[in-house]
Amino acid sequence: MSFYESEIKRIAKNIYGNQGQVNLAVAIKRFIDQNFEKDLNLDLLSSSQFVSKYHLIRLFKKYYGQTPRQYLIGVRIQKAKAHLKKGESVTETCFAVGFESLGSFSILFKNRVGMSPMKFRKEQLSRSNSDHGL
Amino acid sequence: MRISVLSIPVYDQQQALDFYTEKLGFIKKLDVPLGEGNRWLTVVSKDDQEGTQIVLEPAPVHFEPAKVFQSALFEAGIPWTQFDSDDVEEEYNQLIDRGVEFSIKPTVMGTVKIAVFNDTCGNYIQMVEQL
Repeated sequence: MSFYESEIKRIAKNIYGNQGQVNLAVAIKRFIDQNFEKDLNLDLLSSSQFVSKYHLIRLFKKYYGQTPRQYLIGVRIQKAKAHLKKGESVTETCFAVGFESLGSFSILFKNRVGMSPMKFRKEQLSRSNSDHGL
Repeated sequence: MRISVLSIPVYDQQQALDFYTEKLGFIKKLDVPLGEGNRWLTVVSKDDQEGTQIVLEPAPVHFEPAKVFQSALFEAGIPWTQFDSDDVEEEYNQLIDRGVEFSIKPTVMGTVKIAVFNDTCGNYIQMVEQL
């Protein structure tokens, strides 16, 4: 067994020793992955997993390094990029990935991606057109 | 500032290009001759071709300390670089079919599944799937 293999086994035992907690964290993440486009909030998440809201946030952050909210926004932005690449409108995209207002979607998108969804869409479309043209 | 380029040190740039494109399915992005047989050679992920580039960097050939560091990591089985995968098991099966050698088979560790393979150019690379 290599040094690396024995090290990760040792570390895994330390940080993933509580299998119940690990399963719960994974279940929360899967729930977000499968329901990202719905009106997800902490009440819904905590009742779906039968844990308190406080415990849920703490647990998720411990195993995934960010809060459920931050993770959810990341998933939605990733999905939004795929929608925009396909040429869907910014409004369609916004609601398809679970945002409730165009304003907050645009601000979040711009913060995370570095350009507005409108500009991102335009760049993607002109890029795929020029791939064919040149 | 943006993070657009990261480096992987390789013993042989051409061999590395073959491995990263033919075995891993990455796409060659830039190939600029730098003289004396060296190239500014980058690859990108097929699904994110405008995303972060990897430079296949011939550091161990030209800079002894880089070689020493890289060899020490390799001997210890330590992957310095890792790639995300949506399905480590499936990726593992495909790479095995293409003759890639693994030092760690797909293994669940808490909230992730990992596997480690040899890139044949002096590095172990880790694949990670968030469970």
